[in-house]
Amino acid sequence: MSIPHRETRWLTGGRVTRVPLASFGPRLEGWIAEGGRLGLLTACALPEEPGFALVVLVLDPARHTMELWEAPLVSADGSFPSVTPGVPQAHWFERAIYDLFGLKPEGHPRFKSVILHEAWPEGFYPLRHSEPRLNERNPPRSEYWFLRVSGEGVYEIPVGPIHAGIIEPGHFRFSCLGEMIENLEIRLGYQHRGIEHQLTKVPWPRARFLAEAASSDTAVGNAWAHALAVEQLTDVEPPALAQDLRAVALEIERMASHIGDLGGLCSDIGFAAGAAVFGCMRGRALGLGERLAGSRLQTCYVLPGGVARGLAGSDRRQLARDVRELEAAFERAEPLLMENAGALERMEGTGRLRRSLAVDFGLVGPAARASGVQYDVREAFPQPSHWKVDWKAASGVDGDVLARARIRVDETRSSLSMIAALLDDLPEGGDYCVPMPGTLRPRAAGVGVVEAWRGELIHLILTDDAGRIRRYCIKDPSFNNWTGLSIAARGELVADFPLCNKSFGLSYSGNDL
Amino acid sequence: MIQTLIELLRTGTATQEELFPDLPAWNRGLPTVTQTPCAAEEGCAACAEACPTEAIGVTAERSGGRVALDLGRCIACGECGTACPTGTIQGDRSTRTAKRRREDLVLRNYPDERMADSGPAVSSPFRRSLHIREVSTGDNASDLEVAAANNPIFDASRFGVHFVASPRFADALLVTGPVARAMREPLLRCYGAMADPRTVIAVGAPAISGGLHRGGYAQAEGVDAVLPVAVYVPGSPPHPWCILHGILLAMGHPLAAAGRPPGTARPPRRDGQEG
Repeated sequence: MSIPHRETRWLTGGRVTRVPLASFGPRLEGWIAEGGRLGLLTACALPEEPGFALVVLVLDPARHTMELWEAPLVSADGSFPSVTPGVPQAHWFERAIYDLFGLKPEGHPRFKSVILHEAWPEGFYPLRHSEPRLNERNPPRSEYWFLRVSGEGVYEIPVGPIHAGIIEPGHFRFSCLGEMIENLEIRLGYQHRGIEHQLTKVPWPRARFLAEAASSDTAVGNAWAHALAVEQLTDVEPPALAQDLRAVALEIERMASHIGDLGGLCSDIGFAAGAAVFGCMRGRALGLGERLAGSRLQTCYVLPGGVARGLAGSDRRQLARDVRELEAAFERAEPLLMENAGALERMEGTGRLRRSLAVDFGLVGPAARASGVQYDVREAFPQPSHWKVDWKAASGVDGDVLARARIRVDETRSSLSMIAALLDDLPEGGDYCVPMPGTLRPRAAGVGVVEAWRGELIHLILTDDAGRIRRYCIKDPSFNNWTGLSIAARGELVADFPLCNKSFGLSYSGNDL
Repeated sequence: MIQTLIELLRTGTATQEELFPDLPAWNRGLPTVTQTPCAAEEGCAACAEACPTEAIGVTAERSGGRVALDLGRCIACGECGTACPTGTIQGDRSTRTAKRRREDLVLRNYPDERMADSGPAVSSPFRRSLHIREVSTGDNASDLEVAAANNPIFDASRFGVHFVASPRFADALLVTGPVARAMREPLLRCYGAMADPRTVIAVGAPAISGGLHRGGYAQAEGVDAVLPVAVYVPGSPPHPWCILHGILLAMGHPLAAAGRPPGTARPPRRDGQEG
């Protein structure tokens, strides 16, 4: 890899580039035309004067660079020209800016709320002021409108927010002709808990717990992205042992989640035996996390400065044995699903997502890789541990449920082998954590980008004059990928929707925050 | 297909026979308050200061330090046990953690009239079978562990426990997550669609108290701000055994006799368990 060796500070010094609003759209389009992508687009209040600015993190995976731009808004009513017509992947980001700040993207082709709906009163923009002003006397936000598909025989099926299984809430509005889905519109926001605001209120050393809770099934991913952002704001370098243990924890989270979702895929096609086998195996995978981190979901383990506890030699050896056994068990179980004629029949050709659309909408993670978008944060912006081991990101082309399942299988294998390699080569002794200073750098930015199991996960922190967190922005990989599901479901049978949904396996709460 | 049958026969029975075993030694478990004298008299409040959810109250009395630890707010981070200089706060790896009364989740190292026995199990119409509708409101880790309680290892169905697709089929509503504003109405409608007799189980710290989300503008204060809760299962997320214990407690099942009295934590087991 032609990356400066040992370079982990992709955003050196947390520099923010001021961009005039008028050139912001063309500059972003130019960045994307050169092969880059939009990491996140949000807003924040200006620190020194009234008014707001757009804040953008852009990434160029091929050139291994990131930039942070700030574009102060100029219009008195706080609106800004929408970039979505030229940069489709900005579409939900701009709608979220309106929900949270009340800043309107003028010219957005499908402008409506994306996070806050009728449960909230009109005029409530939680991040617009330092204290949210919820006025219960205001009427509810105006009713969200769903795209209507007209034509003879077209009908709508509304599903959710509460779903039939053990799954998070969200609304799916299907427009169907017979059994075929003509259009699917996904409306989330039911689990909005106000995390980004609360992260500006808790003392920053406590923020890690809330950061993990953004999507609690991605505790390691969120905790690591948070830690990276905070470490950038304190110039702390975690010790080598902690780097490796973090990488082990992330891969345990990845493969345990993939194994669980492969079992979920089995359930969704009615393959009970497969569901049982993978379900039990997920438990074994979580057992690795339990031994390493003290809890099955590895909560409260990764923190700024390192990790919460060391790994005794006996535990390391037992983990290594458990990994080898799990690898063998996985090799026995994988063909039950991936060579099962009935399962293949259901998965092949179902829920296809074209590469061009995956690129246009900035999809990330296994779903993007299955459609031929070769982006993995561990390759583009590797942490030190990722150089130590010999591995390759999974790739696919067909973009159907089967391709997404195959990516999960490949990643499970590569995660297991990465865990084994890292455990084999852990630094002897050394600290597992270093102390953090009392304050964060003032008037600065910290960014953490991690390949969580669903894809690129970003935590962005902006500090004020006193080093307090003035804006905390989280971009869950699901925020990019829900659009992919709504596209992939088109033309599929309603009965195949659970399969399509599970093949993406997205987070509702990570989207809503 | 043959391969599948061979693999299933080879695996044999995966269901763990021993119910509610302690968690292994390397699992943090939940904190507990022991009778080891506390240093509050010397001005120590390290546990309370370390707690991210303000779950711990410490007062200095002439008789010694008094610690009250609310498991309903506890996210099981382990910071209190690490911070405690006297070993008064320890890890407890019991999986019999569910409680019927909210106040029973508050552990104390001193007697309190609220610690009076909550009485014998009320006779329950769900003794032999419980059909559960699960509703998630923002804690997908707890959802994963609820789903795991249905896998062959824990096998909730052997107790007549089934998760159903509609509140119309359900006896119990099992809720995870802090129930922020936008899930209040859907949750009430779901409960409203259930026929009596019905019961509510709150699973995980966010569901019990709002957890880390408590006090925010999203009004996420947990399930009992919205519905009457019959059983609380602490943890973040709770282990599948803890969830199963809570479900059986809701059923009035004899196997779910209430957990050990406070302050009697046994030393942790050394062997590991799968699942």
